[in-house]
Amino acid sequence: MLTYTIKRFFEMVIVFFLFLVISYLLFNAIPGNAFSSLLLNPLLPPEAYQKTIEAFGLDKPLLERLQLYIVNFFKGDFGYSYTYYPRTPIDLISERLPRTLMLFSIVNIVAFYTGFLVGKILAWRRGSKSETWITIGSVFSYTVFYPWFALMMLWFFGYKLDWFPLGKFLVPEKWYDSPYSSDEVFYTLILFTTVLSFLLFLVFIITRGIESIHNRRNARLFGLVVLLFISAIYWTNGEAELKRFYAADIAYHMILPTFTVTLVAFAGTALLTRTTMMEVLKDDYILTARAKGLSQKRVRDRHAARTALLPVVTSFIFTIITIIDGSVLTESIFSWPGMGQLILEAVVQEDIPLAMATFSFIGVLALIAHFIADISYAFLDPRIRIKSES
Amino acid sequence: MENQELENGLKAKFKKNWRLFKQSKLGMTGLTIVIFFGFLAILQPLLFLTNIWDEGTYHPVVGYDSEQISRTVVECPDEYPTEKYNTKEDCPRVDEVNIRYLKAFGIDAEVGDSYFSNVQPAPPSSRHLLGTDSLGRDIFSQLMEGSQVAFLLGLISAIIGVGISTLLGTAAAFYGGKLDSYLMRQSDLVLMLPSLPFLFIISAFAELKVWHLAVVLGTLGGLGGSVITIKSQALQVKVKPFVDSARITGGSKRRIMFSHILPNVAPLALLYMVFSVTGAIASESVLSFLGLLNIDMSWGIMIYLSQTEGFIFTGLKYWWLIIPAGLAVTLLAGGFYLVGRGLDDVFNPRLRRR
Amino acid sequence: MSEYALEVKNLSMHYDTLDGNVDAVKNISFNVKSGESFGLVGESGCGKTSVAMTLLQLQPENSVITDGSIKVDGKELIGLSENELRTIRWDSISIVFQGAMNAWNPVIKIGEQIREAMREHNPESSKKDNIEKINELFRMVGLDESISERFPHELSGGMKQRAVIALALSCDPKIIIADEPTTALDVVIQDQILNELKKVQELLGLSLIYISHDIAVIAEMTDKIAVMYAGSIVEIGPTKSVFESPKHSYTRALLDSTPSIHGEKKKLSSLDGEPPSLINEINGCSFSPRCPSPTSGCRDQTVEMGLVQVGEDHFADKCCSECV
Repeated sequence: MLTYTIKRFFEMVIVFFLFLVISYLLFNAIPGNAFSSLLLNPLLPPEAYQKTIEAFGLDKPLLERLQLYIVNFFKGDFGYSYTYYPRTPIDLISERLPRTLMLFSIVNIVAFYTGFLVGKILAWRRGSKSETWITIGSVFSYTVFYPWFALMMLWFFGYKLDWFPLGKFLVPEKWYDSPYSSDEVFYTLILFTTVLSFLLFLVFIITRGIESIHNRRNARLFGLVVLLFISAIYWTNGEAELKRFYAADIAYHMILPTFTVTLVAFAGTALLTRTTMMEVLKDDYILTARAKGLSQKRVRDRHAARTALLPVVTSFIFTIITIIDGSVLTESIFSWPGMGQLILEAVVQEDIPLAMATFSFIGVLALIAHFIADISYAFLDPRIRIKSES
Repeated sequence: MENQELENGLKAKFKKNWRLFKQSKLGMTGLTIVIFFGFLAILQPLLFLTNIWDEGTYHPVVGYDSEQISRTVVECPDEYPTEKYNTKEDCPRVDEVNIRYLKAFGIDAEVGDSYFSNVQPAPPSSRHLLGTDSLGRDIFSQLMEGSQVAFLLGLISAIIGVGISTLLGTAAAFYGGKLDSYLMRQSDLVLMLPSLPFLFIISAFAELKVWHLAVVLGTLGGLGGSVITIKSQALQVKVKPFVDSARITGGSKRRIMFSHILPNVAPLALLYMVFSVTGAIASESVLSFLGLLNIDMSWGIMIYLSQTEGFIFTGLKYWWLIIPAGLAVTLLAGGFYLVGRGLDDVFNPRLRRR
Repeated sequence: MSEYALEVKNLSMHYDTLDGNVDAVKNISFNVKSGESFGLVGESGCGKTSVAMTLLQLQPENSVITDGSIKVDGKELIGLSENELRTIRWDSISIVFQGAMNAWNPVIKIGEQIREAMREHNPESSKKDNIEKINELFRMVGLDESISERFPHELSGGMKQRAVIALALSCDPKIIIADEPTTALDVVIQDQILNELKKVQELLGLSLIYISHDIAVIAEMTDKIAVMYAGSIVEIGPTKSVFESPKHSYTRALLDSTPSIHGEKKKLSSLDGEPPSLINEINGCSFSPRCPSPTSGCRDQTVEMGLVQVGEDHFADKCCSECV
């Protein structure tokens, strides 16, 4: 296990290095640069452009710049953003990242969970009428033209019905007197959600030991109620209480995008689950489970779905990698200023330090996620566990 | 003699598979949709060649209909809702024109008159089945053109992508060791690149026409995560006993890979290919929507135009500018997906109901 | 409380396939008393497993029961709702599957999978009680207690098989069906398993339905035996009686083809040909194409079929009973 990890780590470093080089060269391949707009401004003397270029080191030859960048990168110096000068890329990322994380972690978890449920049901009800309709619905949601769909949702719920705000993540007027910056509130929200999810997970694990199904269900419900109670206490005391108003504002803005993206995203998981489940359903132990007198539902959930979970979890982890990539469209349409928008902006404006920093961020995330996927697969399937240990 | 038998064997196999495919309702629905759009794609050049359609008027990119349409002159009220109109956007309707607009241009008219103009976009009529866009181009013609693009793009990128990933995935599974490590890291590298920004970069310094885009999409898709998926499938085939027996009887590694493993991975590859087409069509429309492509006309371009010209938020008033294109993307992508599902039933006997 | 633990009467079932209807089970009737062990023997594809599946009402989706009744302890199974069937499964009648290797879910521990069945039929029993019972069952089949905490892939074939027997016993059923339980195991283990089964059966007074193609094993294990061919029973009777005086050509051929270490060394006799395809309707005697000594009636397929009595409690197909 250890040797595998070390080997993997070295490979990842090499890949990352290559990635940096390729990205840098790519960005520089785009004609023009971040400051070419200066040339178009009639009020500026021509020397202004030249001076700016020199100040940012853009007049040096490509290879020299590449070398400098790599060296600085591994020293921890990521430069300054060209377009947001004098802010550094780290600064910008730390500002934008919580927003994207907040929105898209929730979206992904909800979408995967929904997808898994639907897929489970689809596989079980093969051949029935409901299967056909649910499948058609899933396929439609999977293939619908996302920008159009998102815009329609926005138009319908935001404009026609006026139920939800049309974009951004807060209403500036409400925050006018706020003692808190949006970042602080975001951090609190993220902390809260993470801890809550962790506790939920704990409840689930602890109640696994209970033998009787009836008691288990009651215990879980009880756990849920306790958690709700704790949440209520949290938000009505101390600092959280003061932030509550603003947190609610952010949460309110999250509803429509979450709903929209989930509708489109659940289908992929549903269809994957369905396929895997159907392979599993032909296995003998499913027949044994039925022979034991277990209800269809139990056989489906406890035996078939459990094994089908493996590829779904792997797919989930891979989706995390593309979380930022996938967020670009949604963030544009809903005007949610997060990482996705940041990257697109950086690329479009040729803000090389910013673009490089954001790309690196995603790159590292992707590598780590792939690694985790490989390990968690071994964890979920005890057969592989034994093999890898021997 | 042997070749004859082989051919008959293949023909019989094909017939059997076709029978199985016909069984699947979903697969047949998908196939119908795909054939319908294929027909549309072929229809357009036919219409032009046989002169049923005059190219000057109906060309999807440079056509223009100079015929004028009659509209009724109305006066739009100040307050809404009224008996005739619900909201401000509802007045004037597409077959009406606001008298204030005419007066602003110095045109004299009375409410109730018929005003002839060829203001585009024009709603569907007998001349233009799906109306025209703001430049006077026939929407139906554009739809057919887009169909051609979708098929070309979808199929080419899918074939390239799946071809590459199958080859690489199988090789990774079979040869293992250093090749495997290298290929896994390579697909890592490709996965790491955020696709949308990357495509934007490419489009910035290279002109992306349909063919180019197809190749780029195909290669990206082929070298990325799908290698990992195919590899795990190939691994499952590799551990089957018949592979061992092939090795014992002295087959070279390469021969085993091509004659034994590949054919078993092929059905799955075919499946992925069909699903890739879905992805490719969707990708193209999204990219066009963002204005990143240099294609003359496609469904994505149609939606892009209607968005940049501000018609999308008018709700259903200018529906023919938004709905046909969006629906086409959804339907064709979905159609290919359903075909994939049908093939699923054919190639995965474990999943069959009988 | 009826006299018989299991009564099967005129059971007929076919599979609905792309190529037509496959008549898998044709007019099967047999009874099993409480504590009796009953054997079902025949070639691969003769319909034995289909019968077994039907007894538990676990037949595949495309199978259609066209006629007959199955009564477990006097209660009719055919036509019951799924919920009613669930209470009967495992509780009254359980099964040791063919290929019991795959009867276990690979990601759940053995003990948990057994307790799952117990929980289903005895929801009030505590975890401790269940574990105790499992340990007792394991002792009965010769397994160590620690097996409970293992995953299926950690056990050998023989251990898995024994565990499957323990699983089948876990809810105190009255009838156990054993479908080729030892086919994949070596003879030493086979012997052990068979002994365990017999021991357990006698100890608990269960009815055992043993399905196999190995007539030697059937002889050892059963009180009563039925020989199946092409979906029908061609001979049925007390094991001793059928073995000593087989009245059907097929039964004879089966017995003849079993090697024996007693008697003179002679070449193994075997049957030529294959069982008929069950898709096409079979007229007359289904065995006649392969019968070593058919009469003219058999060959013409004009002879009337049906079981007739040929000894005490011993029945055979009309056709062969007349020429043998």
